Amino acid sequence: MRQFRSMIYPYIVWLAVMVVVPMLMILLYAFTKEGNDVASIKFSLENFTRFFHDAVFIDVLKRSLIIAVATTVLCVILGYPIAYAIATHSERGRMFWILMITLPTWINMLVRTYAWVGILQDDGLFNRILGLFGIEPIKLMYTTFAVVLGMVYNFIPFMILQIHTSLAKMDKSLIDAAGDLGANRFQTFWRITFPLSLPGVLSGITLVFLPAVSSFFIPKLLGGGQYVLIGNVIETQFITSGDWNFGSAISLIMAIIIILSMYLTRKVDTDPTANGRGE
Amino acid sequence: MSVEKKHSIWAKIILCLTAIFFYLPIVYIIFFSFNESRSLTHFGGFSLRWYEKLFSDNTMMESIVYTIVIAVLATIISTIVGTLAAIGLSRSRRVLRNVVEQVNNLPIMNPEIVTAIGLLMFFSALGLHKGFTTLLLAHVMFCTPYVILSVSPKLRSLDPNLADAALDLGATPMQALIRVIVPQIMPGIVSGALIAFTMSFDDFIISYFVTGNGVNNISILVYTMSKRINPSINALSTLVIALITVVLLIVNLLPMIKEKRRKKV
Amino acid sequence: MKKFMAMFLASTLLLAGCGNESGENAVTSADAVEKYGSDTLKLYNWGEYMGENLISDFEKQFGVKVNVEYFDSNEAMYTKLQSGEAYDVLVPSDYMIERLKAENMLQPLDHALLPNMSNLVKGIQSLPYDEGNQYSVPYFWGSVGIVYNHNNVDPDVVEEQGYEILRNTDYKGKIYIYDSERDSFMMALKALGYSMNTEDEKEIQQAYEWLLDMNNTMEPVYVTDEVIDGMITGTKDIAVVYSGDATNILAENPDMSFWMPEEGTNLWSDAMVIPANAPNAKLAHEFINYVLTDEASMGNSEYVGYASSNQAVLDELSNGIFAENEAYLPRMDYEKDEVFVDNQTLKKKLAELWIKVKATK
Repeated sequence: MRQFRSMIYPYIVWLAVMVVVPMLMILLYAFTKEGNDVASIKFSLENFTRFFHDAVFIDVLKRSLIIAVATTVLCVILGYPIAYAIATHSERGRMFWILMITLPTWINMLVRTYAWVGILQDDGLFNRILGLFGIEPIKLMYTTFAVVLGMVYNFIPFMILQIHTSLAKMDKSLIDAAGDLGANRFQTFWRITFPLSLPGVLSGITLVFLPAVSSFFIPKLLGGGQYVLIGNVIETQFITSGDWNFGSAISLIMAIIIILSMYLTRKVDTDPTANGRGE
Repeated sequence: MSVEKKHSIWAKIILCLTAIFFYLPIVYIIFFSFNESRSLTHFGGFSLRWYEKLFSDNTMMESIVYTIVIAVLATIISTIVGTLAAIGLSRSRRVLRNVVEQVNNLPIMNPEIVTAIGLLMFFSALGLHKGFTTLLLAHVMFCTPYVILSVSPKLRSLDPNLADAALDLGATPMQALIRVIVPQIMPGIVSGALIAFTMSFDDFIISYFVTGNGVNNISILVYTMSKRINPSINALSTLVIALITVVLLIVNLLPMIKEKRRKKV
Repeated sequence: MKKFMAMFLASTLLLAGCGNESGENAVTSADAVEKYGSDTLKLYNWGEYMGENLISDFEKQFGVKVNVEYFDSNEAMYTKLQSGEAYDVLVPSDYMIERLKAENMLQPLDHALLPNMSNLVKGIQSLPYDEGNQYSVPYFWGSVGIVYNHNNVDPDVVEEQGYEILRNTDYKGKIYIYDSERDSFMMALKALGYSMNTEDEKEIQQAYEWLLDMNNTMEPVYVTDEVIDGMITGTKDIAVVYSGDATNILAENPDMSFWMPEEGTNLWSDAMVIPANAPNAKLAHEFINYVLTDEASMGNSEYVGYASSNQAVLDELSNGIFAENEAYLPRMDYEKDEVFVDNQTLKKKLAELWIKVKATK
């Protein structure tokens, strides 16, 4: 149906002006060296070779991807049951829980992360509670655990929202039909509900994975700075060193890697029922 | 029936744990807003000094207003724009759809600093004065992709014949859109709007570089407090929590009260 | 829903407005417009770097409105400034002032409009980044030193080893390192007996190895602002911090002591400047002059805890509320202390090396 097709054009214009043009301006830096003024543009690939010639940067990139993947996986594993539990409620109950999940994200991320510092530190809330039971304090701060916990806390609401959206208003007749045909609850879930909720899971993955790769406040605060992630490196280049050329080269490399991995998830996405087909 | 019961107990346990996980830090934040000491993690005694500071600091109070106004406007605009764009996108040819979806992902994927510097250069090149307008434009720019991302999966599972049927039955395209398509994708729109609101409310880096003329949002104040950070940001957060809770209570309670009144009559 | 949103917004607006009503203006904005050409001052300062009443008192006294924006690093401020934003008063640090000056982004001050400059501490006037204070007037100043828990760390060891204590494995897992290439290289270079402004490849390489060794053997935690909270809580035993932050730490946690290493340190200052494109330079001068008054300087230094640029205030506070606080009064006229020099190439190089140090496992 063509009626609504034209509605995309204004947005394409908007994207071109507000997203593509600024991005091109940044992109120019990735392929140039020094001299930021137009008069002295020198094209160069040096920024890219500089990145790949240094094992440290590759390590940082790997670490960022691993932490982002871990965060995303945890968000799916923890977020799915939560979204499912919310979806079992009535309309009003669902709205209540969705707001309960989103409300904390309206508190500044830095303030929330500071609260986690207080909870996790050596003599913090968590270890004091352990102490009440006579358990020795555990070192939680400045560990991978703390970083991933902080990331999951920050990003999981988006996953829950997306999965819940796909579970809500799902065609209940399908589920009933499966039940009538003798499928048990697990079979019904695995064959019907889960495949139908897959588009939600995938957009949840996009919403968690993309920002998680480049996040840097959380690893900085909870990881004690040893968790240098690619977001920190890019931020340092743009602000501290003022080396926009190298900074934009790194973000371009990162973008290409992400687009490739998104392309792979898209392959799954194009056939949402692929996983759920019975024999 | 017994299966249903067991099921809801599990749901209750999960949601209970979720609530603890989400609200433990919030309780912590509220608790430390009453700290006598400057520390955010070491309690030095009860005091209201940070509330006094908050209420006497015009920049901080103004930042609450700016944050809310920007977030509300950005959410309304990006939800409408994003929903319409997503519907248009779902009817577009595959190639166009792929390209637009990729470009749409850019603001989500790029580190905020890259988007921020890009917009900074862009606005400067246009000679725009930085302030409220540029801040709002930037927020709409990075919020809309989230709306599209939330609405699109719902559209994909939508029966494409529904709207056609409505049109065949004589509905105008506008009616088909509002009466048929929108209600079907409502959950996606709601979650898109919520995410947009969150993104706008909590944004620091992009806001920082595109604002000017004394227009600060909460995040800018919190992050630039940097070294001399103190519980006044907890007091600020507590005030925001209180405001939101009051609004939500009113919104949720009002229909109930109305219903009761109607019953009495 | 819409109605409630509107009500909600209206109530917050009211809340925000409350502050404005208090006190009656002796001077009106019309007077200000007549005198300065405009009644608005655009100030760009560090976050939480002003006494609680500085802005409101200034607004009242001169019948003007101050638009404040904040920054958290000199570089972020520079980026914004370079994009064409216009401000009346900025408060950058020494090396950044040098850079702005070299790039013709500042305007010379009219000392006739700044009579209160006579209040300035002698030792921080006419520093190398701005001889004769032609462009800048000091705001806060200080040094960098070691804060340590004297219950767990022997003061004699700190005083004997200086920065080397950060490689003393007795304190493995007990240290905070300030997460900035500038400050960490300063520490390493000073520990090795070099100038912190060195451009010598070999010396920089040695400092890099010093830091790498520290990173690999000491299990340090890299922090910026959190160091204050961490040391107040007593989470770690040793940290290298700015003297002003140390003042706050010592004020909150009596177990902590402060030591300025004999190898020398970074003597820094943040100073007020007027950008070349300032829309209201006249009012900017008025503001700078106002900050230098005893009253305003006192409010600033008392609240922020950093050393005042006003001699009378410095004397009063270092003998008064900060008398017991060994971190408040920075060391002056010590030959091994240096001021940072602006050097773009060096900074980029150090920033990259610093990332490598931190990313090494």
